[in-house]
Amino acid sequence: MYLKKLALAGAVSLLGTTAFAACSYENEVPLKSLTAGFEAWKAVTDAMAECGNFQAELDQEFRTKQPAAFEANPSLYQIGGVSNGTITPLLNAGTIRPLDDLVAKYGQNLSPNQLIRVDGKIMAVAMMVNTQHLMYRSDILADLGIDTPTTWDEVFAAADKIKEAGVVDHAIGATMKSGWNLAQEFVNMYPGFGGAFFNDDNTAAVNSDAGMKALAAMKKTLDYTDPEVLVSDSTYVQQQFQQGKIAMANLWASRAGAMDDENESQVVGKVSMAAAPMAMDGGAPATTLWWDGIVIAANITDEEADAAFRLAMEGLDTEMVQGANEAAIWLVNGYQPGPLAEGAIATATANPAPPAYPSTTQMGLLHTALGNELPAFLTGDRDAAATLAAVEEAYTTSAKEAGVLQ
Amino acid sequence: MASKATAQPLSLKIASGAFLAFWCVLAAFPIAWIAVMSVKSPRDAFAASAWDVITGPVTRDSGNGLSFIDIALGLTFLFFAVRWAFTRLPRMVEQFSPPGFIVLGWLVGSAVYGILFVLIFFGVLPSVFGALNSIAGPLGTPILGLTTEHYVAVWAENQFYRNFMNSMIVTAGVVTISLTVGTLAGYGLARSGSNLAFWLLILALVFRALPHSVLVAGYLPWFINSAEILRPIFGDLSPTLYGQPWAVIAVLVSINQPFTIWMLRSFFQNIPSELDEAARVDGCSHFQAFRRVIMPVMWPGVITTGLFSFLLGYNDFLVTALLLDAQNQTMVPAIAGYFNRETTTTDQVEAVAAAVSITAPLFLLVMVFQRQIVSGLTAGAVKG
Amino acid sequence: MKFKTFFWFVAPSVFMMLLFIAAPLVSVFIQSFQITQPVMQQIEVETCTPGFLTQTCTTEIKTVPVIDGETGRTQTTTAWVGLQSYKNVLQMDKFWAAIGSGNWGDILQIDFWKALRFTLMYTLVTLPLVVGVGLMIALAVNNAAKVLRGPVIFVSLLPFIITPVIGALSIYWLFVGDGILTAMLERWLDRDIAMFAQAWTIELLIYFYRVWHVAPFAFVIFYAGLQTVNMDTLESAIIDGANRFERLRYVIVPHLMPLIIFIALIHLMDCYRAFDEIIGFRSEAYVTSLQWLTFDFLTPDDAGNRAISRAAASAMLTMIGIVFLLILPLRRTWRDHKGGAH
Repeated sequence: MYLKKLALAGAVSLLGTTAFAACSYENEVPLKSLTAGFEAWKAVTDAMAECGNFQAELDQEFRTKQPAAFEANPSLYQIGGVSNGTITPLLNAGTIRPLDDLVAKYGQNLSPNQLIRVDGKIMAVAMMVNTQHLMYRSDILADLGIDTPTTWDEVFAAADKIKEAGVVDHAIGATMKSGWNLAQEFVNMYPGFGGAFFNDDNTAAVNSDAGMKALAAMKKTLDYTDPEVLVSDSTYVQQQFQQGKIAMANLWASRAGAMDDENESQVVGKVSMAAAPMAMDGGAPATTLWWDGIVIAANITDEEADAAFRLAMEGLDTEMVQGANEAAIWLVNGYQPGPLAEGAIATATANPAPPAYPSTTQMGLLHTALGNELPAFLTGDRDAAATLAAVEEAYTTSAKEAGVLQ
Repeated sequence: MASKATAQPLSLKIASGAFLAFWCVLAAFPIAWIAVMSVKSPRDAFAASAWDVITGPVTRDSGNGLSFIDIALGLTFLFFAVRWAFTRLPRMVEQFSPPGFIVLGWLVGSAVYGILFVLIFFGVLPSVFGALNSIAGPLGTPILGLTTEHYVAVWAENQFYRNFMNSMIVTAGVVTISLTVGTLAGYGLARSGSNLAFWLLILALVFRALPHSVLVAGYLPWFINSAEILRPIFGDLSPTLYGQPWAVIAVLVSINQPFTIWMLRSFFQNIPSELDEAARVDGCSHFQAFRRVIMPVMWPGVITTGLFSFLLGYNDFLVTALLLDAQNQTMVPAIAGYFNRETTTTDQVEAVAAAVSITAPLFLLVMVFQRQIVSGLTAGAVKG
Repeated sequence: MKFKTFFWFVAPSVFMMLLFIAAPLVSVFIQSFQITQPVMQQIEVETCTPGFLTQTCTTEIKTVPVIDGETGRTQTTTAWVGLQSYKNVLQMDKFWAAIGSGNWGDILQIDFWKALRFTLMYTLVTLPLVVGVGLMIALAVNNAAKVLRGPVIFVSLLPFIITPVIGALSIYWLFVGDGILTAMLERWLDRDIAMFAQAWTIELLIYFYRVWHVAPFAFVIFYAGLQTVNMDTLESAIIDGANRFERLRYVIVPHLMPLIIFIALIHLMDCYRAFDEIIGFRSEAYVTSLQWLTFDFLTPDDAGNRAISRAAASAMLTMIGIVFLLILPLRRTWRDHKGGAH
């Protein structure tokens, strides 16, 4: 029985790599791509592989490899997957090519919204948006008679009631794993309080009133979270949700689908999505908007670029979206927003809208500085003012080293 | 040894036995536990109660369960299979392998054994048990949740066998080249008393102590741009080193050299130098003496050193993760990939299944070479 | 042995080490005194990014590197900065300020000193544990019935052969959140326990992992050593009336001494560059090691920045540390070398 299954699975996977059934043409030019490895990329690269002659590399080290691999001549990959954070080094080094003529040739299916323009030139084609927004256990909030929170103050008030009722282990879950995740929480909260990250001369401006408020709000979250929050990343928070251990979290939209996965989740149908809470009344939701999309390398021949873009369009077609509707908040034609997408859409269309994550060299440096210095504040080793000062100092050191500051 | 004076009081025997039992539990428990997790549905695998993880109620309810008969017969089979591996297998290998190729014989023998085991245990037994269960009544109803779906997903759907092949290529390369290069150098160092030899050894020791991340990050730009850099020398034939298994083999061999030459040097020092001197008196050159006199007696030390090289090549994460692309990725970075990217709980249990799978060859290896490790070390590879 | 013969025996090995270890090392050494940065310019850029349904375009002044028209690469300048990168890593001003003000604890706020504290303690605390536990297992196995030895050695070796990342993860899962061992402890002590919420519990777990992982290595080497203990010496010790402990102390341990030094040496080197356990236990917020610090400097952020110079400096400082640690055990090797072994 097992052998049969094995043989069958093997045969199916073999078929999958050789059949071109779902692709409208056969790709003749050998192409490679380097992207991140989450569900949406799997769906897109699988769709591209159907055209043949294509190798996808879904790699968690892509951040390390991509800038160097695209700078090689010829570039090691023709197609790259980026987000608004990771496109920066490619733009800066000029290793990706403008796509205007290719979009004119093959991009009939694209909506204007998908075209990422830098100085008027199309540099990337976005395929999905992602944002952190509020997920909550609608059953628990209904039982306790709590309205859907719209601000962080309301979240804390709701958390108090949930904590008192004792229905879950921890009222709030948070992606505060030290490093990138923790810094991202600050990057969400700080503009929510109206803060600006940099002064005009590129020096950091986080040591401000808004910075203190953002830190205070983050510390307040700790009262309601798992004490091990400094090791919890999105997967961990997602699992806590699935196991019914937490009631609310500001979590990535790309994680929503997992809540209704019957194989993993014990809370199917009980988790609802809402806009990210606001940090202060009348402000924007305390979160940032992200997009993921495709770029084409500069250091390749025009024929290769032509074939690569055509293949990418095949990967971003309506058929792919219909096969993986819940994997992301797609920007591609044919996407049917389900109930799980409500939160992300409410966040993105809020007025005032949350900012897009800034794709600049300075932001990368500040993000690292935040990720390294904030843990000391949350563990109680250092107070808020000293922490913000330390963040600015760490930023200044690395910015001088990177040549951003003199 | 069995004289009165060395006979031990009962209390000491009990204490020593208890300590050993405690240690064995400690040593095996984490590994056994991930093995248990790997055969449960995601909800069971990460359940809070240990009992739920072991019995797997969700897994059982979804139709994947073992009955009392399955467990009893399965364990019996397992017991005899393991016993056979320890007793009959070594004899058969010695009997059937041509003289001088004992190592090869072991490799073939253990591979055949592994395949046979998988075929019988996962292929034949389930259908036999299925037939038994249907006529056994209450004893035949499932009581323990168990599913092999994650293993099927990992090996068939995710094509983990490719990573397995890559691992095998890299590991085999690392072991062979390490030993060839290292044996020569170890012998040279053992027979030379010069200060240069000493400082070489000290330098190797300092190299051994280097943090790898420094070295590895230094390689990346060179490896990626090697085609461009080497073009003036090799023309259009110049390769891109990034993603090439043989380039990774070279790096791992170099990183492993310091340990290898230290091990082998101390081993050669314990082979009396009169042996090769006698050969030299008979008119052999150093190389001939090495080949005729030393090579036949060096195997215990070489096998032990080879095992350490194997572990290094097989378990390496830092080098392989950074320098190989997806097509040539080995198993360890592939598994880390399951965890590090945005994952689902199912991905994680699949990663656990993959993790258990990659320990299986290590199991076999230790089973087979256990005696050689101890005898090789006893023969002097660690006297220095 | 003539030099020429010797040369040909060691040449392949030395060549590989020079190419793949020494050459990168030299370049790291040079980089630690240099800073290479791109030439930056400020330009006004309009960027359009997608919202849901509509785009938003913003115009802002961005600092971006200048791209060389001829080569198509970013223009960079390299400057010698002396010990600047070392200063950035060591942060001596803060160090002395902390000592001056008497707040010694503040020193551990500085990344390098925090990592150094852990790395040293980790190395020195686990060293006797590994040797001790390894020796105890070896003696116990040597004591066990012959039939049991094979399986026991096999089980004992498991923690050593298992892939380190996976070994660390398997222990991490037992304790993280309501992992089964944490849950068991909670039931036993009747209180809520979070193993990964404070530094000392994480540190204990990492120590435990290390001993678990390396003690089998020490064990198998000691066990091999025990097989060659001179029986005559042992028997004459018995005749002299030495008790069990004295026999261990005066016969067995001296016999194993070279092996203990060997284990200590290997352990010092491996422990000092601890890295896998920091990743495996996700302890970056509380506990970091020197190699992790270097790795962290080298990991590019989203914008592709890496602190290469500081990474080089921290790697060099790590090197200096290991040389200090190794001097003691190596003095003996030097004496041995001078004493013969030709």
